[in-house]
Amino acid sequence: MAVSAAPAVSSSLATRWTEVGGVRVPVELVTPGWPDPHMDLSTYDPEADLMALNMGPQHPSTHGVLRVKVWLDGETVVKAIPYVGYLHRGVEKLCEKLTYVQITPIVDKNDYVSPMMNELAVNMAFEAALGVEPPPRAQVLRTILAEIQRIASHLISVGTWGLDMGGAIGGGATVFLYCMRERELILDLFEELTGGRFHYNTHTVGGNRHDLPAGWDRKAIEVLDRIVARSEEYERFLVDNPICHQRARGIAVIDPLLAMECGASGPILRGSGVDFDLRRDAPYAAYDQVELRVPVRTEGDALARALVRIDELRESARVAKLLLQGVPEGPICALKPVKLPGAVKLQEGEQVYVGIESPRGELGTWLLANTDRKLGPHPYRLKIRPPSLHALSLLPYLCPGHTLSDVVVIIGSLDPILGEVDR
Amino acid sequence: MAVNEGEQSFRHPLYDLVEGMARMPGLDLAFTTADQVLSWGCEKSLWVFPMATSCCGIEFMAASSSRFDLDRIGTIPRATPRHCDVMIIAGTITVKMAPRVKKLWDQMPEPKWAIAMGSCAISGDFYRDIYSVVPGVDTFMPVDVYVPGCPPNPDHLLEGLRRLQEKIRTKRAGQFVEPDKRPVAGLQAPSIPRLGDPARDPAIDAAQLDSVRQLDPEGALRRHDAPPAPTRPAPRDPGEEG
Repeated sequence: MAVSAAPAVSSSLATRWTEVGGVRVPVELVTPGWPDPHMDLSTYDPEADLMALNMGPQHPSTHGVLRVKVWLDGETVVKAIPYVGYLHRGVEKLCEKLTYVQITPIVDKNDYVSPMMNELAVNMAFEAALGVEPPPRAQVLRTILAEIQRIASHLISVGTWGLDMGGAIGGGATVFLYCMRERELILDLFEELTGGRFHYNTHTVGGNRHDLPAGWDRKAIEVLDRIVARSEEYERFLVDNPICHQRARGIAVIDPLLAMECGASGPILRGSGVDFDLRRDAPYAAYDQVELRVPVRTEGDALARALVRIDELRESARVAKLLLQGVPEGPICALKPVKLPGAVKLQEGEQVYVGIESPRGELGTWLLANTDRKLGPHPYRLKIRPPSLHALSLLPYLCPGHTLSDVVVIIGSLDPILGEVDR
Repeated sequence: MAVNEGEQSFRHPLYDLVEGMARMPGLDLAFTTADQVLSWGCEKSLWVFPMATSCCGIEFMAASSSRFDLDRIGTIPRATPRHCDVMIIAGTITVKMAPRVKKLWDQMPEPKWAIAMGSCAISGDFYRDIYSVVPGVDTFMPVDVYVPGCPPNPDHLLEGLRRLQEKIRTKRAGQFVEPDKRPVAGLQAPSIPRLGDPARDPAIDAAQLDSVRQLDPEGALRRHDAPPAPTRPAPRDPGEEG
């Protein structure tokens, strides 16, 4: 999906803007020069006592099984290299053996903090290849689910980041516990709708599987109101907390050019002042029916990314509430209910790429369809473009110059999910 | 030293917790076996080392935070293996990760237990045949309790910890511990009879339908209606035939 032209809505925070590759970028942040991630350590000061240290793969603040090898001069990081692959489950290879209907529950486990998004991305690719348009009710339903899932995902992201930053002493554990409390309310909503607390399997080719139960919309609006009211509290916990300021302000400032070069997207890009959101710039599902206000911050540091996430959480709640008030009537699936796994057939050699805005950025699916006499209709190749992998590629640029304790904050602010990095 | 406290009887909470503890009236002395005190201590303060790799790790986080609150059964998550008694393997273990898991398991001090949480840790689930996934953690380390699910709900994990406590208790008492069976798919069936089920009391059906009607007179909420009442054939009038 191509980067779109300069959007109409802009942040009031930036003053001067310039164009970089068709995207508006604040002038203040376009500064050349960043650390060399491939630094040859033999060229470093021979007097210095360098220490190599492994963080992970089992470390409570690496958000899963990320391993970062850091070289330290005293307490300052000289070089940092992330190693991935500790959760490589061969999902893309597994999908080549399955039919299109069977893939949805498998990809649920990729980005395990926002399973709805994975389902949506894959099924949108199938629909694009098949040329099926889901009915309007399914479109609105998908948008609502995606926005509510975004809230749940950002709650985990902000909560665990608080835990990384302060723990019990810095007041971070409070944010974590409060965020998890709110997330349970959302999981209750999803459980009522789909029967699953965590992995839903609710999207299907051509629409959705589960219709809204009676009274669900009222409950959802109630929950969203409550979360929005409490999100003020989380922001106060972060912004009014001196420890948070000392640990996150001015830490890991990401240059917008660097971010775009590494392929970062989502809150990381918007925290660096690039006003880009696929929901607004290349609308899918029912996003063309709502006017989305995209929060952008120009500071580019770890705190800005967290605040963008909190702002996005409120915006998602607003959009979801708006759509919940007018869900159109009608069927929820364009195709007949699937009875056989091989029922959905795609034309052989069909190629399609679909990108959606997941809570971490652009979640893309590239599909090359195939039909085999023995296996039935299945993808010849299904490539998933995870936003977290690209976010993680920023890590070697960000860590040098910071202290070891900042590395934890930096990883938390990038919010990688290793399930989708390694796949 | 004996202290006569007269009518007052000395009751320590330990007396209620440890079975078979004998106490002498009027004395602040009690007799028990060292095993019982040790098992009481072990089972009530299981510190957990979360080997959280994927989805089950998020569910473990949910279990240890606000709503479910693992702390209230003395289960505190710690980040280092040296502090911990129980390792909860939550998530898929890959070939690259397995040596690290084994190393961390070996670093934990005795006595120690392991819980395999989720179907990936139990058997590898649908990743079982993938080249990079270990088909169940019990291929390289011992496991005490299996908690099935994908991922298991936090209350299932709590039940697993309770089963582990039970196991510690009986093992210390020298009783036979039945090995945990591998969960078999399809064993869990819903046991609650639903509306219209012949196994259910028709009076409950009627009450449920009645309450739905009161709740919503227009009938928007109603999905099932009462089965049509059996109509009996009208008694024949013998006079007509004749």
